[in-house]
Amino acid sequence: MLEALGIAALVLGALSTVFLLALVFRRITLAREERRREELEARLQPLALALVDDDDVELPELPPDELAFLAEVIGRYSRRVAGESRARIARYFADTEAYRTEVAALGDRRSWRRATAAYRLGDMACRDAGPPLVERLRDEDGDVRAATARSLGRLGYEEAARPLVLALVHGSVPRAIAFRAVLDLGPAALPYLRLLANDEDDALRAGAVELIGWSGDAGDADLLVAAVGDPSAEVRARAAASLGRLAETEGAAALTEALDDRIYFVRLQAARALGQVGERAAVDRLLLQARDDRFEAARAAAEALSLISPELLLVAAEQPGAGPHLHEAADLLRV
Amino acid sequence: MSVLHDLAVALAALTLAYFAALNLVYLAFTGIAWRDLVRHLRARGHAPDDEVFASPVTPPVSVLVPAYDEAPTIVESVRSLLALRYPQHEVIVVNDGSTDETVERLQEAFDLVPVRKALRTLLPTAPIRGVYVSRRHRNLWVVDKENGGKADALNAAVNASRYPYVCAIDADAILEEDSLLRVARPIIEEPEVVVATGGIVRIANGCTIDGGRVLDVRLPRSRLATLQVLEYFRAFLIGRVGWSRMNALLIISGAFGLFRRSLVETVGGYSRETVGEDMELVVRLHRHLRERDERYRIEFVPDPVCWTEAPETMRQLSRQRRRWQRGLGETLWRHRAVAGNGRYGALGTAAVPYFLLFEFLGPLIELFGLPLILVWWLAGDLSPVFLVGFFVVAMLLGVLLSLAALLLEEHSFRRHRSGREIARLVGFSLVENLGYRQLVAFWRFRAFWDLLRGRSDWGDMRRKGFTTTVEAPLPPG
Repeated sequence: MLEALGIAALVLGALSTVFLLALVFRRITLAREERRREELEARLQPLALALVDDDDVELPELPPDELAFLAEVIGRYSRRVAGESRARIARYFADTEAYRTEVAALGDRRSWRRATAAYRLGDMACRDAGPPLVERLRDEDGDVRAATARSLGRLGYEEAARPLVLALVHGSVPRAIAFRAVLDLGPAALPYLRLLANDEDDALRAGAVELIGWSGDAGDADLLVAAVGDPSAEVRARAAASLGRLAETEGAAALTEALDDRIYFVRLQAARALGQVGERAAVDRLLLQARDDRFEAARAAAEALSLISPELLLVAAEQPGAGPHLHEAADLLRV
Repeated sequence: MSVLHDLAVALAALTLAYFAALNLVYLAFTGIAWRDLVRHLRARGHAPDDEVFASPVTPPVSVLVPAYDEAPTIVESVRSLLALRYPQHEVIVVNDGSTDETVERLQEAFDLVPVRKALRTLLPTAPIRGVYVSRRHRNLWVVDKENGGKADALNAAVNASRYPYVCAIDADAILEEDSLLRVARPIIEEPEVVVATGGIVRIANGCTIDGGRVLDVRLPRSRLATLQVLEYFRAFLIGRVGWSRMNALLIISGAFGLFRRSLVETVGGYSRETVGEDMELVVRLHRHLRERDERYRIEFVPDPVCWTEAPETMRQLSRQRRRWQRGLGETLWRHRAVAGNGRYGALGTAAVPYFLLFEFLGPLIELFGLPLILVWWLAGDLSPVFLVGFFVVAMLLGVLLSLAALLLEEHSFRRHRSGREIARLVGFSLVENLGYRQLVAFWRFRAFWDLLRGRSDWGDMRRKGFTTTVEAPLPPG
């Protein structure tokens, strides 16, 4: 027993010393690293800016570690620029070792390295990285899939529209990231989204209808009006929200009808959308909903009324039985 | 005499086993925390906050601020909350019957006007006296109600909240600008699965604070507060990361936690019958979801920071620790059916037993076990070499764990930039086992007496009715 205690004390003492030394070592190396990065940043930033701004910049001979740092700085700029500047960044990286290293790293056995490579390729802006990145959307690691989706969106790689929408609706990439990536693809994704809006799968239809609301145009109104009558409540609610977002008066009749939907969150979205569309013909139905419906649906109706007809709301709020939602909306109008 | 002697020896041996087990658990958690933090930091490198900020599907959040006699600090706190970087959020301050000028200060600073607000009534609360909205910031609401305690104020805020997620914040806490974005990230990424998240609480004493923002991170001048910095490192960077990994996190600090509102309503809101309402709510959420076999996660996120002021006097610290211990005891008692119950997974088989044995009963064992070991030695059955060896090992383990937490902090977030401050923390990690730890155990032990006196408070959870809507009256005048 005594021997065990002695060994334990020795091990713990040794470990504590190691931790302490690690702490000191980490402090020193980090401080050194920070100083070096500051110095490199100051020296290479003008060069990076020149590369982004001007085609005729001659790159000086740089050691590999400084080239890697330059790639990092330019990569950071690429998130903030578009158009010709981004094209210049792509041209710069296309011939670099840094780009080739990152493409190769997509097959690395370490998942964090694959994820980092996928992310950096998005910053490098080379569309040639599209095909190997699409492959990574099927990676076993969630972080890699997420980084890949981000980069495909940033590259505007239209061919990724289908796998990205599938990744969104099947949840293989976090919703927020896949959603953003599809939106980043812009109009390129629309034809595929329109096809998906008629898919047999409820989740696919719901996802497509929602995305059309964010990236579609007036031509999508018919499709969305049809979706407000979909058998799936999720699709109906998202179609209503999308019609509101596109502010399409064409959908007003369907939205007014949706105020009678048996599912409350469809009524809620329909009321919101009517407010955005500004449909005056719906005010009586909205008044009813604001007085009698469930909390959120009633509040949405009262808020819609404050957008469509503030005068009517102020009058209705002072009538007997107006209810708390009309009172609140009216008071907020007065504030 | 011999029976007594045997009993004392057995208890002393049990104490030794207890210390060994406790420290092994801590060491295992240190390993888990290290792995998870490294992974978290790497993932953060390719998941910038701006992306969450810009995402159209980032859900809006209601920030809930219960306030009781917060007149000196409330305006600054609210300003910092309004300035949070988040796509859409509202701030709901609930004045819980303050006896000072909390409401008047808010009225003056934010140009509040009374409104008839629609309020849910799913969670019962003390009567509401009125609701105000700010003319300058339409996302700032102030609910004025009669005093009912912190849990009651939080429930009133939930009733008044508009958005699908609610973030409870202490009125005297300071959130960093991106903290809300960061704590919401797991929910944004997996909204169907993640139901609640909590961020890290750090000690603001000694820091330079201006306009509700921490400008310069420094260690407190007070030794007592500096010792708490180390404690918080261990609790958050090791303990919470570890439990979160097992999806058995029992505590999301009341100072900073984000919850799915509908779920909080479903389980009946914050309990008004315990002083540990934050922990109790989290355990109730776990139970509710596990009893329904739902797929869910409650996560700790290590980088969103909430700065809070730590007690600097023995009296204040003693009261705080007694309150925490009492809250822990009340929660464990209320949810005693979970302990050791495999139906609740890691919650029942690991987290609740751990908190019962090591956190709740820890002070008893520390205060009685150590003297028993001394008795064992005095009785001549324990060699003095062994006794010294045992205390050396116990102390070295404490030092090792504190150094590990410091190393984790240094490897991950590095908030304390000065090398001298790190050296000071190393020094404190060496001495905290010589007196401070025992003192805290003594304070926590005193909570047992509080618990015994307040036993009649340990009622069962109340059943709540279905939601209805009421309207806040216009305040007089």
